[in-house]
Amino acid sequence: MTTKSLGGALALTLLASTAFATAASADTLSMWVRASGTNAATNLVNLWNASHPDKIELTTIPDNQMVTKLATGVQAKDVPDLVSFDLIYMPDFMKAGFLTDLTAELKANPNYASVAKAYQDIATYDGKIYGAGFTPDVSILVWNKDLFKKAGLDPEKGPTTLGEIHEDAKKIRALGADTYGFYFSGSCPGCNIFTGSPLMVAAGSKMLPANGKDDALTGDGVKAVLEAYKAMWDEGLVPKSAQADNGQDFVSLFKSGKIGIQGAGGFVIADFKKDVPTMNFGITFLPGVKEGQTSAFVGGDVVAVPVGSKHVDLAKAFINWELTDDAQIEGLAKNNILPSRPSLADNKYFKAEPKLVTTAKALGVGYVPWVFHFNDMVNSDSSPWINMLQRAVFDGDVDGAIKEAREKMKAIAAE
Amino acid sequence: MGGVQARRRAQGWLYIAPALLFVVLVVVVPFGQLVALSLSNQSLLGGGHFVGFDNYVKIWNDSAFWRALGFTLKYTLWLTPILMGLGYALALLTVDNSPLKKATRTIAFLPVVIGLGSSSLLWIWLFDEQVGLLNKALVDLHVIDAPIVWFVTADLAFWAVSISVTWKVVGFGMVLFVAGIQSINPEILEAAVIDGAGYWSRVWRIVLPLTRRVVLLTTLISVIGSLLALDQFYIMTSGAPRGQTFTAVYWIYQNSFVAFKLGYGAALSVVLTAVIMALSALQIALSQRGKAE
Repeated sequence: MTTKSLGGALALTLLASTAFATAASADTLSMWVRASGTNAATNLVNLWNASHPDKIELTTIPDNQMVTKLATGVQAKDVPDLVSFDLIYMPDFMKAGFLTDLTAELKANPNYASVAKAYQDIATYDGKIYGAGFTPDVSILVWNKDLFKKAGLDPEKGPTTLGEIHEDAKKIRALGADTYGFYFSGSCPGCNIFTGSPLMVAAGSKMLPANGKDDALTGDGVKAVLEAYKAMWDEGLVPKSAQADNGQDFVSLFKSGKIGIQGAGGFVIADFKKDVPTMNFGITFLPGVKEGQTSAFVGGDVVAVPVGSKHVDLAKAFINWELTDDAQIEGLAKNNILPSRPSLADNKYFKAEPKLVTTAKALGVGYVPWVFHFNDMVNSDSSPWINMLQRAVFDGDVDGAIKEAREKMKAIAAE
Repeated sequence: MGGVQARRRAQGWLYIAPALLFVVLVVVVPFGQLVALSLSNQSLLGGGHFVGFDNYVKIWNDSAFWRALGFTLKYTLWLTPILMGLGYALALLTVDNSPLKKATRTIAFLPVVIGLGSSSLLWIWLFDEQVGLLNKALVDLHVIDAPIVWFVTADLAFWAVSISVTWKVVGFGMVLFVAGIQSINPEILEAAVIDGAGYWSRVWRIVLPLTRRVVLLTTLISVIGSLLALDQFYIMTSGAPRGQTFTAVYWIYQNSFVAFKLGYGAALSVVLTAVIMALSALQIALSQRGKAE
């Protein structure tokens, strides 16, 4: 073989190996995301795709199909490389063995320690970590500053106790037939666990039982909140349509400017800015009975690697990356979305919008119940949770409603 | 001779083989799997084992299921005569092929081609207390003093869903009835006219008896559709208030896909299938008896 042909062969080999290496490294990962998290996830995925040779393809799954699709996918060994879903399913999915153990990677990641505690807790099972916070949301209290002003209340100071919510709601209701003091979606289990349960937790209650031996709805907070809701309902401070609202009008009445106060989620900041840019509203933590008591329900999505993922290492690399300052700030905060690390609340993008800082800080004081069967206990349209709320508020039997819900929740937890 | 018969029999089996295979694959096998699933405590999240008839014992004591089934039967018994009666009346009114009647038929049939989900979403906004057109019209016409919150009680929700489904489905029956009426030999009706039979006499004594098979088929389809109602209640009432508007299928959905109890959901499905088959058989038997008489 001549030197020339040897050189040619070497060049060819090099070229081929380079081409192979490029092809091997430029993989495409598949990722499922539930519909309500798609907007936030798209920002992060676009940022990743712009800065990495391996690309992620996002597929949106309707919220109520995610569990079925993932369960079927895992059993058929046909799963995406990454999945982003409602954090509340984490305990059920971890127990069912759907998710890959990420303990080693996340413990070695210096950013993981500053992820909101609620996310760390919900993604840990038997000492192992199976996911990380991805696109957070958290519940807060919103009030209409214009209505506060008209009612003679300080528009810059939101209610800081349950009693204040009630008193302020009375004054706002006095403004006229079409204006109401308070709102909640009376037939929406998810809306009420998100916005009503933090009031109870702030007032000292524990909500859901982790197992059949654990008690449900402990403490005085549950009764205090249900009685306050009932009183506001009886006094006509809440619109009648609230009783039948299954979540379709969760914040739409507030957007119409006819509601004084209500529990909502951090998502309203971007939502209101888009739909009702002139609305003058404030945001604060959901309070308890006494001054200084606050809580929040941490919601949103976690990201995890399903068992059977074909690109486990790349998927883990993505999860490590999404916790970095750059991804959290440029992918989330830049788009008015909360970072899952509360310590990044004071970032350059949130400076112009203090409401976002308050909301991001709510992540730090928020809770999320670590329970199996959350759907059965809370989210189902026939759940003990929604039955308790409706029986207590609309039928007026607060004690009976709590007693029944405690028994049913305990029975579900024992299954 | 025997050989010819055997060959013919084999040929017959060969002819029906594709259809038989199709039925076995898409009906018999899945139904067998459903029955097998109903004898287990399998979860949507996996796992589970054989539990015998435990799920069926649980159904016996499941008051929520029986309430949902009762509600479904009430809905079916209420809606079927409305759909059949209105459908038939519309068919009688539009049976001639004049341009105006053809256009009326098309308009009445239009809601049938949109999905039940879309129609339910449309109606939920029409019924809305704040922005709903229906409340606005009723208040402006002084039929009611203040807007009604339609989904606040089980009775009002039942009415609201019935109105929306009637609008959505009535055109389906109408089209089948029109086809049935148009297939009657016109000479029979002409003869009746010559004999002096009035309009209602012709409808009662000729049109109705000669469209009996179409009426039976349409009623059967309507009854089965109502017994399997889910979308409209899922979207419009979410089972509220207090689970009083759960239908049987909605309860199966709740158990299978919300509570993840696939085994129990399968057992509920088997029971519902049996109920539907029994009611359909009864309906056909009653119609046959009426025919014999």
